[in-house]
Amino acid sequence: MPQIIVENITKTYLVDTAPIDAVRSVSMRIEKGDFISIVGHSGSGKTTLLSMIGGITRPSSGKILFEGEDIYELASDRVSEYRCEKIGFMFQFASLLPILTVKENLLLPTVFRPRPAGREAAKAEELLHLVGLTEKINVYPAQLSGGQQRRVAIARAFMNDPALVLADEPTGDLDEETEGDMMRFFKTMNESKGVTFIMVTHNTDLAKQTKQHLRMNQGTLQTV
Amino acid sequence: MAFRNLRRRPLRTGILVAALSLMVAALVFALSFVTRVNSSIKLTSDRLGADLLIVPTGARGGAEDILVENRATSFYMNKSFVDRIKKIEGIDKVSAQTYLVTLTGLCCSVPSSMVVAFNQETDFIVSPWMKDKLGRKLRKGEAIVGSESAFNINLGLVEMEAKLFGSVFSMVGVLDKTGSGLDTAVFISDENIAEIVKNSDADIKPDQISVIFAKLKKDADPYMVMSEIENNIIELDVVMRKDIGKSLITTLGDISKIFYLTMVLSTILSLFLVWAIFTAIANERTREVGIMRALGAKEKHVVTLFLFEVLVLGAIGSIVGIVAGTSLTLIMAQSFSILKNLPVDLTNFTRTVIAFAGLLFGTGICVLGALSPVQRLKKLEPLLVIKQE
Ligand SMILES: Nc1ncnc2c1ncn2[C@@H]1O[C@H](COP(=O)(O)OP(=O)(O)OP(=O)(O)O)[C@@H](O)[C@H]1O
Ligand SMILES: [Mg+2]
Repeated sequence: MPQIIVENITKTYLVDTAPIDAVRSVSMRIEKGDFISIVGHSGSGKTTLLSMIGGITRPSSGKILFEGEDIYELASDRVSEYRCEKIGFMFQFASLLPILTVKENLLLPTVFRPRPAGREAAKAEELLHLVGLTEKINVYPAQLSGGQQRRVAIARAFMNDPALVLADEPTGDLDEETEGDMMRFFKTMNESKGVTFIMVTHNTDLAKQTKQHLRMNQGTLQTV
Repeated sequence: MAFRNLRRRPLRTGILVAALSLMVAALVFALSFVTRVNSSIKLTSDRLGADLLIVPTGARGGAEDILVENRATSFYMNKSFVDRIKKIEGIDKVSAQTYLVTLTGLCCSVPSSMVVAFNQETDFIVSPWMKDKLGRKLRKGEAIVGSESAFNINLGLVEMEAKLFGSVFSMVGVLDKTGSGLDTAVFISDENIAEIVKNSDADIKPDQISVIFAKLKKDADPYMVMSEIENNIIELDVVMRKDIGKSLITTLGDISKIFYLTMVLSTILSLFLVWAIFTAIANERTREVGIMRALGAKEKHVVTLFLFEVLVLGAIGSIVGIVAGTSLTLIMAQSFSILKNLPVDLTNFTRTVIAFAGLLFGTGICVLGALSPVQRLKKLEPLLVIKQE
């Protein structure tokens, strides 16, 4: 059975009573361990699609099954647990909490776990080392550069050992070298731990390194 | 996290805490005031050995002034009423007292004092408090003082002489503390009245008395006896033991109403303020809440986070308010004449209960005010709020 089945989902926004389909009748089957890249013009619906898969915005129609379960049929708390335990989300937008230090930001997703996994602090340090920010552990986000903040957010996505990582332009403001480091990091996680990746990117070189390539165009998904 | 959130906007947090403490202070003050007045009245009526208090028509309030508030006043009626009361069905014992007001106080701090002349043969009001102190009847020219007066005169030792209405009295005893108006009075035998009338310019005639205390027979109905007296002798008013303090309460009624009104208004105001501030806080933090929700926070995590913040705010505000309100009560007790004269002060237990009520009320208001903004916040869809910058 595929890990994720996306069944004919559509997301319609109402802008001044005029409906806009941000995502239009998209269907996908994603197996565990897939590494999918999605490219597409700005406004083509990439973030919207990722958000629906990640359980943070409800599709107007259609279904998303994670390991056979329709995530939008679940009770609110179960959806939260799904986001917490199964998904590692890297947002397109800045997403660190300003009142927490880097370390606390990393630990935040573990706080919401119904069952503590243990070893959280060690794990935070480990991941921070992997994204090359060991020395920034007790610093506040405002004291970091945009790219450094982004790397903290990348590290945070792995804190709860997710089964699926949804990365929305994760390397948007990184230099080429760091971008390469991150990509290698993702590939290691994908190959060694079998983590599934769906990554939105504007960088075609990066997209080429993935196993499957998709393109979004005005709300519809096409294979390249 | 909640603590750090509160420190983000110190001014706003400060304003909210200040408003809350004002409200709680007002509450604590009002509660202390009302409780104190009520317990003073209750104590007086409990300690009074009589079932009925009979005074000249219109002097009801005067009697209460003396008994509950320790205020010196005088009013008179003819002695002959004692015999008429005695004959009324249901009356067991009666005893009369005459109240005299000294023009100058016994001592420095007391502006004027009550002198109570009582009949030693019939008395059952004063004697219970003095028996083991003296062991014999008062002679002419001897006086007993209430525990407060004793303190005021700085007596301590018996046998000190004081001059009242031109006659010299020697203090031969001190009453136990009764907690009522009797504590500030000086007691003499009514045999002295004739002399006082002769020697001084006190406006009293020899055969006048101020009040008749009556004890009822066991099976007598106080209401029946009261109406019997009032119907038969129109010159007299009757106050039942349990009604003592009623006219004081009526006078205080308006003050209490103002208190309550202020309380209600400040409660509504605080509620609005908490609501407004938490709506602002919620709006400011929608994005952060959205991120937390997207990372797996449940609704209850969001609620807990805010609830904790609200509780900390409420608790700080209430505690400041309780301290302020209690100090206000203490300060006011010095300058409010009603409070100053009340025999009863609040016990520490009552103070604690009032403080606790203040704490509960203050935090309660906070939680209530923050409820709707937080409810709204926890229901938001994460993506929508994360995207707003
Ligand atoms: N809250 C909203 N209300 C109305 N329209 C919206 C809303 N969010 C997104 N849209 C519309 O949906 C479409 C898809 O948006 P989406 O954010 O998914 O694009 P994207 O592919 O991620 O673009 P980008 O590459 O710029 O991030 C856009 O046309 C946008 O205008
Ligand atoms: Mg996008």
